[in-house]
Amino acid sequence: MIYEISHRTAYKYDAPVTQSQHVVHLAPRSVDRQTVRHHSLLIEPAPSTRTDLVDYFGNPYSILSIDDEHSELVMHARSTIQVTPRQSLNRESGTPWDRILPLLLEKQSSTDDLHAIDCATPSAATQTTPQVIDYAKASFPQGCPTLMAAWDLTCRIFADFKFDPTATDVSTPVSRVLANRRGVCQDFAHLALACFRAMRVPARYVSGYLLTRPPAGKPRMQGADASHAWVAIWTPEVGWVDFDPTNRIMPDEEHISFAYGREYHDISPISGVLLGGGRHIVNVAVDTKCAS
Amino acid sequence: MITNTKSVASKPAELLSDYRPPTGTFDELVDNTGAIRPHWAPLIAAFDGLPSRERRARARRLDRQVSDTGLAHDIYADPSAPPQQWRLNLMPFIISTEEWKWFEKALVQRAQLFNVMLGDIYGPQKLLRSGLLPPGLVFADPAYLRSCRAIVPPNGHLQFYAADIARGHDGQWRVIDNHAETPAGIAYAIANRVMHADVAGDILAECNVRRLSWHFQDFQSLIEGQSGRTEPNIALLTPGPDHPDYFSHSYLARYLGYHLVESGDLRVAGEVVFLKTLEGLKPIDVIVRCTEGARSDPLELEPSAFDGPSGLVHACRANPALVVNAIGSSVIENRGLGGYLPTICRELLGEDLLLTDAPRSWLGDAQARAHVENSSDDLVIRDAREGTGRPGQAALGRSLQHASAADREILVAEINTQGARFVAERRLGFATIPMLTPQGLRPRAFALRLFASAKNGGFAVMPGGLSIGVDPGSAVALSASDGETQDVWVPMDGVERPHTSLWKPQLQTALIQRSQRNLQSRVADNLFWLGRYLERGDWTMRVIRTALGRRFEYLGSAPANKASELSLELLLDKGTWRRDAPNEPRQDLRPAARLASMLITQKEGMYSLAQTFDGISRVASLTRDRLSLEAWRTLGKFRIDDAWRSRMRDASTSELQDEIEDRLAMVATFGGQMHENMTRNFGWFFLDMGRRLERACNVSDSLNAHFSRSVSDDVDRERLRHILDLADSYITYRSRYRLEPMLPLVLDLLLIDETNPRSFAYQLAALSKHLESLPQATDGNALTRERRIVLSLQTAVRLADVHELSAVRQDGRRDGLETLLHPALDELPQLSDLISRRYFRLVEDEPHRVATRPGTRQ
Repeated sequence: MIYEISHRTAYKYDAPVTQSQHVVHLAPRSVDRQTVRHHSLLIEPAPSTRTDLVDYFGNPYSILSIDDEHSELVMHARSTIQVTPRQSLNRESGTPWDRILPLLLEKQSSTDDLHAIDCATPSAATQTTPQVIDYAKASFPQGCPTLMAAWDLTCRIFADFKFDPTATDVSTPVSRVLANRRGVCQDFAHLALACFRAMRVPARYVSGYLLTRPPAGKPRMQGADASHAWVAIWTPEVGWVDFDPTNRIMPDEEHISFAYGREYHDISPISGVLLGGGRHIVNVAVDTKCAS
Repeated sequence: MITNTKSVASKPAELLSDYRPPTGTFDELVDNTGAIRPHWAPLIAAFDGLPSRERRARARRLDRQVSDTGLAHDIYADPSAPPQQWRLNLMPFIISTEEWKWFEKALVQRAQLFNVMLGDIYGPQKLLRSGLLPPGLVFADPAYLRSCRAIVPPNGHLQFYAADIARGHDGQWRVIDNHAETPAGIAYAIANRVMHADVAGDILAECNVRRLSWHFQDFQSLIEGQSGRTEPNIALLTPGPDHPDYFSHSYLARYLGYHLVESGDLRVAGEVVFLKTLEGLKPIDVIVRCTEGARSDPLELEPSAFDGPSGLVHACRANPALVVNAIGSSVIENRGLGGYLPTICRELLGEDLLLTDAPRSWLGDAQARAHVENSSDDLVIRDAREGTGRPGQAALGRSLQHASAADREILVAEINTQGARFVAERRLGFATIPMLTPQGLRPRAFALRLFASAKNGGFAVMPGGLSIGVDPGSAVALSASDGETQDVWVPMDGVERPHTSLWKPQLQTALIQRSQRNLQSRVADNLFWLGRYLERGDWTMRVIRTALGRRFEYLGSAPANKASELSLELLLDKGTWRRDAPNEPRQDLRPAARLASMLITQKEGMYSLAQTFDGISRVASLTRDRLSLEAWRTLGKFRIDDAWRSRMRDASTSELQDEIEDRLAMVATFGGQMHENMTRNFGWFFLDMGRRLERACNVSDSLNAHFSRSVSDDVDRERLRHILDLADSYITYRSRYRLEPMLPLVLDLLLIDETNPRSFAYQLAALSKHLESLPQATDGNALTRERRIVLSLQTAVRLADVHELSAVRQDGRRDGLETLLHPALDELPQLSDLISRRYFRLVEDEPHRVATRPGTRQ
């Protein structure tokens, strides 16, 4: 399947911004089942400096600075990506969840192994707390195959939590999400990550997109009209496997991943620091459609 | 009477007679037979040679030094917070030459080891892959900054390193903490030495103690060399005056001669860091970092922390040597590392680790966790990572054995879920060191902090350090509840290089400079307001003084009191006041004194003494690195607190008078100290412009209020006397004219005479001269607006005729005076804004963050 993705973010500021600097994760990466055919990022006004780099996790990103006074800013990313279906997986077998980290630590590690160990470590937004452990442990009976435990946790989060964009904001901690049982994809991803890491299972945050208008007969998924977030966990047999707790699904051809990190803050699509500007209004328009 | 000229060996018993270290411990001064260790002998002899009265006098002087220098109390801190303790004992800690040589080798080895380790952690990560360093230890550490991966400075991450070391009862030295985040602690060691040398310089010389200055000279030339430029701009980055270590940041910046900057003073454009100065943006070549790594760049690190300028990490990518120590260095402070260092040292350096760490186990390791859970040893659980390393401020750990069953259960659960954040350690006891007390020498448990700095491809250890008294019962980190410290003396081994001041680089490379180095916009802003507040305080108190009493024989009459009231109302008009508060205004006072007491006792109104003196203290403390020590001491007396105001509320008129006279003298002293000690550079210009502008406003405002309308000859006469008194020009007038005050003559003196420092014209002339000397004095070929304003006011005053100004129209108005003064009343406040906008504009904007989130359209 080939997708065309358009992600346009427009900021309007109350007062002129004298300088703004941004870290932008809007470029897709070619991995596993994905091939990037085309990508462009248009920025208005044109940045004074822009550097394209690869981050700690291997994601392409840009650092840019607009040093001239401006009161509007538009970033428009367009990408064409080919996605192939994932191989079928047997969730009922495989390494038990409690053996994964010991196995990783026993041998001389490769760079990929180190990344997995890194992802088994709680980050600032995914700290291990007694509440997290209480919620997680039902999905992790001793000796249970990792994929089975992960699917169980995915289903439970989907069942227990309500999608509600008004309940949380960009920095709502997992503890509040757990208490209120509401949130958006980012919150559910962070909750799942906190649970996996509390159990010392390597798990990472995935940001990406869903098809905006579903094929005939299929329901429209949550998060389809904006950028989306889900998680991936690591097993020695098959490497990284995706789980989407917001939609209770194991992502396949309809999820297009853009970036991986330990949590949202590592790879948020656009984050910036402004001088001046006062209050601002932001408008995000995402459109994902099939080109083939 | 016994003289002190006899050989001291004949009476060694005096100081040592009742010195009894506890048995079973290691003591630095005496061995276990009670005999003095030889390298202490000259020091003890020197102290024995001092009469005990002299010792007590010196100890008191040292106490006063500590409190005057500002180490003991943090004046920036919230007054309600418990004060930080700092004491310096007259008795130093002296290290034998042999032991020092070993320390030097051991500390340099550790610094080098950490440098190589950091290069690996932020580079290829071989140590993590091989498991020599547990990957989880690094990954779980919030000081490991992923954004800084692959930023590897050519000379290594560390340019300075400090270790806290302690000797156990077995006599062995061990490292109890490592410091690589900021060099802040070193300022305390320098300050201790400076103060101690002042009080015990003779003994220091007798004992042949090595100086500290060479060490910093080497460090400075290294940093300058690293910048690759001949006259680099070097900045010391501090989180600002609210940080508990701000004292040490400003002290170190002043000692090393670097700009003291906050993140608001810097701006990153592209890949270059600039300092905002009066002359615009100037590139910075090296940043000595006193901020926490993770808080040093809101763009790529902790998003809510603005201690460093946004984009700093990216600037380091282009120039990895830009920031020292490199951002991310403090990962080697992790207390869990110690157990892995001996193997890593053999692997990386091919040597045995000379100075090992106190035995600790990292609880991210499953075996270590299991051991702790089942152990009955007396273990202390402590955070693997802690704070910024202010000497003596380490937190106490939690004891497993002494915890209640419930607490133990919680602790064990915490260890099992978040083990990577903790270490377990054993108590080792601390060796003792002699301290001088009023009762004589007494042993005290202690630990040392020693400092190493980079030097030509390697490291050198500062020949000195901090010795800090510790609580002997505590576990192994440096926790000193009472802040008792001692200077560390390293005796010379051979002849030392002659002393050279840090301020004089080798003469052949030094250029004679009279121009000022770049002045930060923020500092200029603060100095400008310091000038305004000082003048405002002076003027307000002069007005108050006229209302309170009979300064001269002519005061006290009804018209004179009316003149005071008018001046007071003029000030009160500028603020909001509570005129109906109980007991305020005071009914027992005359009307003028009643108004004056509002300015004294109320807190909120603009021009209240509380506001003005608060302003002085605030801006002065922000420019502290530019104030002399004397000025700083005077400033300490300025604070107006609630207690003072309530005392004034009950004070009699003559008590109020005394207080106001005292404060006027203080402001004059402070102003005089600034006047005498500041070089006449940009900083001075701004201080003086603030003062001149404020005075010009006050003089023109008063002349207008009192004389733009004639009431009666009697009233005019009293007003003339009043205004001469206010402007401190009564004596000048009398000596010139020997006449009753007459308006044309008074206007000449206070308005037009450019030689009278209290006149309006004098203020304008000074403003004009300063504005002309500053950068950006012209807009293209034209004068700037602020210079045009001053010039037009100045011209009008110069052309004015005092007799025309004094002429009264039929309706009682003096329209000549009005025409002259009204433009001034409008334009002087504008002038202040224009100066702010031109020179301080760069400081106005506060950075803030924006981010979008997934799953929503906002």
